[in-house]
Amino acid sequence: METTFLLTLLITFLASFIGYELISKIPQTLHTPLMSGSNAISGITLIAAILIYPEVGDSQILQIIVLIAIAFATLNIVGGFSVTGRILGMFKKND
Amino acid sequence: MIETILLISAVLFIFALKLFGRPSTAHRANSFAMLAMALAVFSAFNFDFSKYDSAFYITIVVSGLLGVLISKRVQMTQMPELVGLFNGFGGGASGAIAYVELSNTSLPISDVFVAIFSMAIGIFTFSGSLIAVLKLRGKLNNFSTKLGNIFSVFLPTILIIPAVLEMDTFLNEFIILVALIAGVIRVAVIGGADMPVVIAFLNSLSGIAAMSAGFIVNSIILIVAGALVGASGIILTLLMCAAMNRTLLDVLKGGFGTTNINNEYAKDPISTSPEDVAIQLSYAESVVIVPGYGMAVAQAQAAVKELTNTLKDKNIEVKFAIHPVAGRMPGHMNVLLAEVDIDYEDMFTLEDINSEFSSTDVVLVLGANDVVNPLARTDEESPIYGMPILDVDLAKQVVVLKRSMSPGYAGIANPLFINDNAKMLFADAKEGLENIIKSFELV
Repeated sequence: METTFLLTLLITFLASFIGYELISKIPQTLHTPLMSGSNAISGITLIAAILIYPEVGDSQILQIIVLIAIAFATLNIVGGFSVTGRILGMFKKND
Repeated sequence: MIETILLISAVLFIFALKLFGRPSTAHRANSFAMLAMALAVFSAFNFDFSKYDSAFYITIVVSGLLGVLISKRVQMTQMPELVGLFNGFGGGASGAIAYVELSNTSLPISDVFVAIFSMAIGIFTFSGSLIAVLKLRGKLNNFSTKLGNIFSVFLPTILIIPAVLEMDTFLNEFIILVALIAGVIRVAVIGGADMPVVIAFLNSLSGIAAMSAGFIVNSIILIVAGALVGASGIILTLLMCAAMNRTLLDVLKGGFGTTNINNEYAKDPISTSPEDVAIQLSYAESVVIVPGYGMAVAQAQAAVKELTNTLKDKNIEVKFAIHPVAGRMPGHMNVLLAEVDIDYEDMFTLEDINSEFSSTDVVLVLGANDVVNPLARTDEESPIYGMPILDVDLAKQVVVLKRSMSPGYAGIANPLFINDNAKMLFADAKEGLENIIKSFELV
């Protein structure tokens, strides 16, 4: 248990570090699509909703709350990627 | 099997960020990230799709379709609102999940703290983002900063209430309520032009909420992706703050630009006409256009493109100088210009173009104000002192296209407007540009 938690912390640190290094190199021109793209990625919390949905049991209220979370997260993922694709299409070179 | 899929997903996310580094490869980055997301979501089902009822699948399909619909309809000038809204959804989703997990009594104590953290951050992001969207739509004026100050004092007091009452039944609901109110008040006191910082900050919080949700459900991929979003938001937040020479705390405190400063002008500006601007431009060899929020408000992008084409046809060099905080979100101006097919290689950052102004024939300032105010270099008393600005006052000639002499967000006069080399063209950005283009046909 102890080691898994430390390992998880290490992964968190490494992910933040890689993210920081790579994202620092993204030019100002792409900052808006970067934000809409990270909107889409923050929808990954959908995974948590999928994992806990079968476990909420009989409570209707909790079930509805998870469904709301699913709706929000799915909207983020689909809408975020779709609008990012639209923006990035404008930055493609018209050769 | 599942572990392998998740590993591929995590690697793809990181590759996507790498590809995002250049405009020419960025559209592939989006496909990589989509694939990574699809794999991650797929793995969460653990090959057992029968555990889920129809309500679950209907919710996914309906909200997915809604997402497509919104993304196709949204105008590029509305991107700040859309990103703000999505920040709120992301935070809200993580907050809701944390709440459900907290209702699970068998949660180990260490996870309880993480869940409370995730819930509070998520709900704060949700309500704060909705207020940010309302502000961006111009539906809310600045609240007095007093409200924020009073709240900062009361917040610790409010948090003691459950302990005093020995409350244990509605504790989670109480935290949600406090987080909701905190989000509303915190964002409500911050001014419209500081929204780039606020949006980037809330973006980061939505990632942090997702990351902590990953700790509760033991999902490494959720932690990794959440951390990436958190890092991205923090970088943008710090960049925006640096571009205004202010600290994040100072921005979040709110109330900027409300101090009373003498903003009288020593003399009247020289006003010019569209015909004169057309003549001035046609004799230039190099022109730099500085777009600001005024361009977005007037929806003047198409007119900008037309003017650019007209000038380029006359073999005049045209460049765009974009200040990091121009507009209402990071990179806002770049997207608006890209939308009308202006080459991203003609868009320059402050660092890249500032040395060129002294050799530029004409600078056309389009609805920008504080970001070209030379007081930032000269007046130590000024609230914007030390802020990196575009040194357009060093150019040979400057034309400022603006509706009036009214001050910008900082609430201070801009001596550029009465500079000897500057002329004012009083007009709405779109109308003004269209009149200049018409005059070209007569020149």
